[in-house]
Amino acid sequence: MVQGGYKFHQYQVAGRHLPTEKEPEPTIYRMKLWATDPVRAKSKFWYFLRKLRKVKKTHGQVLSINEIFERRPTTIKNFGIWVRYQSRTGYHNMYKEYRDTILNGAVEQLYQEMGSRHRARAPVIQIIKTATVPAAMCKRDNTKQFHDSKIKFPLTRRVLRPSSRQHKTVFKAARPNVAMF
Amino acid sequence: MPFTRYVEIGRVAMINYGKENGKLVVISDVVDQNRALVDRPDEVRRVVSFKRLALTDFKVEIPRLARKSVLKSALEESDAFNKFHASSWGKKLESRRAKAATTDFDRYKASVKKTQRGRAIQAAIKKLGK
Amino acid sequence: MVDRKKAPPRVGISAEGRSKTYKSRGLWAIKKKHGGKFPSHPKQEKAPVAAAKAPKYYPADDVKQPRKRHSTRQSTKLRHSITPGTVLILLAGRFKGRRVVFLKQLESGLLLVTGPFTVNGVPLRRVNQAYTIATSTKVDVSSADLSSLTDAQFVPKKAAKKKGGDKFFEQPEGKKELDPEFLSAQKAVDGAIAGSLEGELKGYLASHFSLRSGDRPHLMKF
Repeated sequence: MVQGGYKFHQYQVAGRHLPTEKEPEPTIYRMKLWATDPVRAKSKFWYFLRKLRKVKKTHGQVLSINEIFERRPTTIKNFGIWVRYQSRTGYHNMYKEYRDTILNGAVEQLYQEMGSRHRARAPVIQIIKTATVPAAMCKRDNTKQFHDSKIKFPLTRRVLRPSSRQHKTVFKAARPNVAMF
Repeated sequence: MPFTRYVEIGRVAMINYGKENGKLVVISDVVDQNRALVDRPDEVRRVVSFKRLALTDFKVEIPRLARKSVLKSALEESDAFNKFHASSWGKKLESRRAKAATTDFDRYKASVKKTQRGRAIQAAIKKLGK
Repeated sequence: MVDRKKAPPRVGISAEGRSKTYKSRGLWAIKKKHGGKFPSHPKQEKAPVAAAKAPKYYPADDVKQPRKRHSTRQSTKLRHSITPGTVLILLAGRFKGRRVVFLKQLESGLLLVTGPFTVNGVPLRRVNQAYTIATSTKVDVSSADLSSLTDAQFVPKKAAKKKGGDKFFEQPEGKKELDPEFLSAQKAVDGAIAGSLEGELKGYLASHFSLRSGDRPHLMKF
């Protein structure tokens, strides 16, 4: 099943240190993370795990990996995302809010925004936590302004686009009217 | 000129791009300033960008994220889709579609009719001139 | 630890060496059974070929041998939009722009069409399907008997060469008479189709096709 066709997918990776005589049943760690494919997801798993715990890929094993899909892709949610990223000067933590139907869509929006506002590329961005935030607990005005069941606004600038690429023209005979009511 | 068409829940809009060009949908929720969640009785609700939507004059009374049954009955009651097809915008789209669907034989028949009409008019004018 | 034996080997590298593989394959047992040698079939002796006689004549120049061709001619696929009775628009040749009726596909892959002759002056004729536009209009041609029409009828018959005599002073021949067989076939086919050309269909076939300004043939439906 494909949801939205976004670049980053959410994976759940479970892994642990290899069993040893001293520690025959090591702790299993589970992580939910975003990656373009399962191979990269495993790589990211080891990256995070060796930063957090004393487990490395050389003495570890991945027990399971599976992709996570949105349970209700037809309702809009407010997604809060806590991020850490490396800028040219140092590391920064951030909290961002997005409205979307799928968490992957919100993550995609995050990567785009981090790229445009902070020139931060995907490898330097670490997603710490995500949450579905109830409307009452949303912090950003940009998300709160859409919490209105009687929402009403006009589309002020309408550019008439061709209905298919076939009808695209380089030159127009007349200057387009973008103020359509 | 004030605005007459607004993005609001229940607004009937038309998809104006791609394969689904001309399809009517109902806005069932607003995602953000660029996108809306749209619905149709026979389809799964999904997100469409406002760039690919053209708002129409028609609106149905539905709550936010209305169920399929509610949407269906609201559409039947308001008859919004049919009203759109009966409007001049809908008629223009329909005539455009009909013209694109004409076959070679149809075009011949139309041209014959056109000549006949022209001849009849000429004859009538000649009569008046006498 | 990882079990090395069970671990899948890399591509191109076997899990075990040559001698170990030899052992595990059990080749030694086969060798032992046959007295230290692998069994083999005795070589079959070929019957001696009679020495060919040396030719008496050798060509002075090299003669190129034509290359052998194994490909056979495939029958031409008929476009699926063309079925018996389809009205076609001819795009090339003497009758370009005419609308004609498709009768059947001939052995050579060419399409047999007729105007009909009485309607628009296009006789029974062979055309390549690449030079036609198939329309969605159909004419009923089921009553026409087409079994006698073949490619051979359309190949011009060569006149017997006259020996002697100066060609330059020869009197120009009079109007060429058409093959009476062809004429009767034309009449029969046209007569059979004539019944199904009711109403505007006749005028449609008689009219010419052309593009007007603003027409976009790739977007038009035919």
